[in-house]
Amino acid sequence: MSSAVDGHGGARGIAPVLRALLRDPMGAMGLLLVLVFVAMALFAPLVAPADPLAINVVNKFQSPSLSHWAGTDQLGRDLLSRIIWGARVALGIAVTTVVVAGAVGLILGLVAGYGPRWLDAILVLLFDAMSSLPMIMFALAVITVVGPGTDTLILVVVLVSIPGYARLIRAQTLSLRDSDFIQAERAMGASSGRIILLHLLPNVVGPLVVLLSMDIPVIIMLEAGLSYLNLGVRPPAPSWGNILYDGYTSLRSAPSMVIVAGVPLVLATLGFTFLGEGLRDALDPRLQLRVPR
Amino acid sequence: MTALLEIEDLSLRYHVAGGTLLALRHVSLTARAGEVLGIMGESGCGKSSLAAASIALLARNAEVTGGVVRYRGHDILRMSAEEQRQLRGRHIAMIFQDPMTAFNPVLRIGEQLVDFQHHLAGLSRSDRRARALAQLQRVGIADADLCLRRYPHELSGGMRQRAAIAAALLMSPDVLVADEPTTALDVTMEAQIIHLLRELQADYQGAVIVVTHHLGVIAELCDRVAVMYAGEVVEEGPVDDIYHAPQHPYTRALLACDPAAIHDLVHRLPTIGGQLPDLMAPPVGCSFAPRCPLVEPRCRSEAPPRVHLGPDRMALCHAVSV
Amino acid sequence: MSLLEISRLDVDLPLSGSLIASRRRISILADINLRLARGETLGLVGESGSGKTTLARAILGLQSISGGNLAFDGVGLRTAADFAAIRRRIAMMFQDAQASLSPRMSVGSLITEPLVIHRVPMPDRRAKALQLLAQVGLPAPIAGRYPHELSGGQARWVGVARALALEPALVIADEPTAGLDVSVQAEILNLMSDLKDRMGLSYLIITHNLSLVRHIADQIAVMYLGRLVETGPTAAVFARPLHPYSTSLIAAEPQPDPRKRRADLAIKGEIPSVLRRPGGCEFHTRCISATSRCRAEVPALRAIEPGRMARCHYAGAL
Repeated sequence: MSSAVDGHGGARGIAPVLRALLRDPMGAMGLLLVLVFVAMALFAPLVAPADPLAINVVNKFQSPSLSHWAGTDQLGRDLLSRIIWGARVALGIAVTTVVVAGAVGLILGLVAGYGPRWLDAILVLLFDAMSSLPMIMFALAVITVVGPGTDTLILVVVLVSIPGYARLIRAQTLSLRDSDFIQAERAMGASSGRIILLHLLPNVVGPLVVLLSMDIPVIIMLEAGLSYLNLGVRPPAPSWGNILYDGYTSLRSAPSMVIVAGVPLVLATLGFTFLGEGLRDALDPRLQLRVPR
Repeated sequence: MTALLEIEDLSLRYHVAGGTLLALRHVSLTARAGEVLGIMGESGCGKSSLAAASIALLARNAEVTGGVVRYRGHDILRMSAEEQRQLRGRHIAMIFQDPMTAFNPVLRIGEQLVDFQHHLAGLSRSDRRARALAQLQRVGIADADLCLRRYPHELSGGMRQRAAIAAALLMSPDVLVADEPTTALDVTMEAQIIHLLRELQADYQGAVIVVTHHLGVIAELCDRVAVMYAGEVVEEGPVDDIYHAPQHPYTRALLACDPAAIHDLVHRLPTIGGQLPDLMAPPVGCSFAPRCPLVEPRCRSEAPPRVHLGPDRMALCHAVSV
Repeated sequence: MSLLEISRLDVDLPLSGSLIASRRRISILADINLRLARGETLGLVGESGSGKTTLARAILGLQSISGGNLAFDGVGLRTAADFAAIRRRIAMMFQDAQASLSPRMSVGSLITEPLVIHRVPMPDRRAKALQLLAQVGLPAPIAGRYPHELSGGQARWVGVARALALEPALVIADEPTAGLDVSVQAEILNLMSDLKDRMGLSYLIITHNLSLVRHIADQIAVMYLGRLVETGPTAAVFARPLHPYSTSLIAAEPQPDPRKRRADLAIKGEIPSVLRRPGGCEFHTRCISATSRCRAEVPALRAIEPGRMARCHYAGAL
């Protein structure tokens, strides 16, 4: 592809974008938080001090101590381990959803934007139909029919997210479709496939990436919410939502549990939001300092 | 003739990713009442920065490292933001390359022209409208009344530029800066705008500064010319002298390679070989030395002197003597 | 046989952009007749609204035509397949050189892309890129840069390098000197001349810059609002233009000589919109010599002298 002659992957490569991101304190903090949680999720088995499912009722409702840094829950399970494993669930679901929905949205958006008019009309109709479904109601309906669980959750969120991403990509594609460089490619005889993959895709994907990273905290929250309602991840599997639910029901016995459950949720959300904002600023060439001509 | 805008030894640099870029180096120019001063130069010579400095509209990352810009004796670059704002539009006005940027796209021309006059005390709204109408007629817009009711995007490029000129002159500024006023226009419209500017200038008491890379526009409009290269003024003088007796090697080379100047069909046009120096690290000696046909050893090591060849006549070169 | 032959070409565009074809159409080009011989350079001169860019796009098959014929090297161009077959032999240099380069591809990849598209064997892509850069006088490190990192002049050279990658027979250059400094203009012109000699290129140059045309074009065709108003050999047209629009274009160019300031203008008014074409001779609204005949009757493009045509009732008599 574009790395054929010189080894660079993108317009400016990853390195300058990373540098721009790190220069922004908000972006840098976001990146740090995200990396912490990603590490937590990936290395859960290695990092968690105890088995998150190990019940030890004798030790229930312990406050944070040296042996249990975050304390224990109503069944004596180590909360820190549950939180760490919960990260795996939260991020796993959110990232999977966002990647799948993003990929499908990207393809559909490119086709709608660059393809023939009639295909565009059909796809836009499809997007409108899909996005007229309110997410929570749709989720509840599907869960009632199929039963709750991680897979259902992912399916619902993917379906509901696709139109938003597809529309964004479609708009970007439409605006680039008549630009000079696309005309130049057509003048050279490039096939539509080549144009879409090599020339449109790399130029529309930027804003999509930002949107995806901003949606991750939304899905984390959604999962937590549904799990809190016992409609998401089934216990005893640890999920931040489950922990929050347990904390709520045990409010009088161990008030610290709610806080312990809430903290990772807030931090993860903040981290991804900052990262998304930072990425958007880093990718926006207009914000780079230039010499006026 | 009164000096209205005096730029003395101005040096300006930009803070960019990777370092600092020296855009202007020890630039001195004077714009006098009743006179048209042309600032001629190619891309990267610093003329846009100079135009911006003359109206105290510098970019965020710009830093003045030396010199002053004086309007009627007042240092405009060191004024407060509020004082600079009072100055702009009223005393020093600018015409831009892209006339669209002069106007607010969501307001009608008439509303904007009336609004521009808010500085003028004691005039009723209808007075202001009448002045705006008169000014539009003055710049050759046939249906001035209709034009007042139009939005900027409804006007053609040529009409927009005329309206922009009208807006600039509305406050009777002392100094008018035109930054590439005709570059975005078609050839026949360009000719008409040049014609208009010449007509207006005949009655205009203030100073006009025209900044452009178009040698023809300078020749048509200006009384005096300053040639810029790599952030410095390399030659200055009356327009006829510059075009018919250029002293600086860059001026000569530039005039020689203009396809419009060469009337017989030649198979190869003369060019200026080489490239602009790196403005992040300008050379020690003369900036033009690497490309100069008259280069001597001292050009590379010593900065060239400002040689005064007469009143208002100057060349920045080792090879030029009085 | 001509390299490029355009006969009675019409291009209309529908007014609205709906899915269903609109009935109202505006004429962008009408009755264009041009012939470009091998090794010749034709200058297509006109201002905004003259339709010159539409014509270039029509020749490349990027714009569908409503009437007339196009032929390249004797072969008619009608279907997409026809155009695809000749794409290797016609190259285009765009007006905004930087915008015509795909922003996320490096210069090296961009200039060798035509060879990839047309499956021309290229054992060493990097070497080919450097060779193409050398052909236009650009240094090797440019291969690794991206379009936004190039200056206007450099982007222009890259555009030229890309246009030459497949060694085309015809190069269509759309405003090759627009926005360029005078010294760079001279370099581009010299390069175009050299390449013409070395590679036997033919050029179709679209521009409003008359000095450019004077120096490089053998033939000139002047367009106004999508119609041809004058054609002929460059030297003859400049020496004695037959159409008032040609006269005013030549007169309008500001001369770099303060002793040659023009006292009066040979033209007035603005270019009319293509949506509201003037009746009769379409130039009559701006022509200082317009008569009642001009307002009423459309002049035909006719031969005034051998090899010279003009669309004016009073051609040659003004």
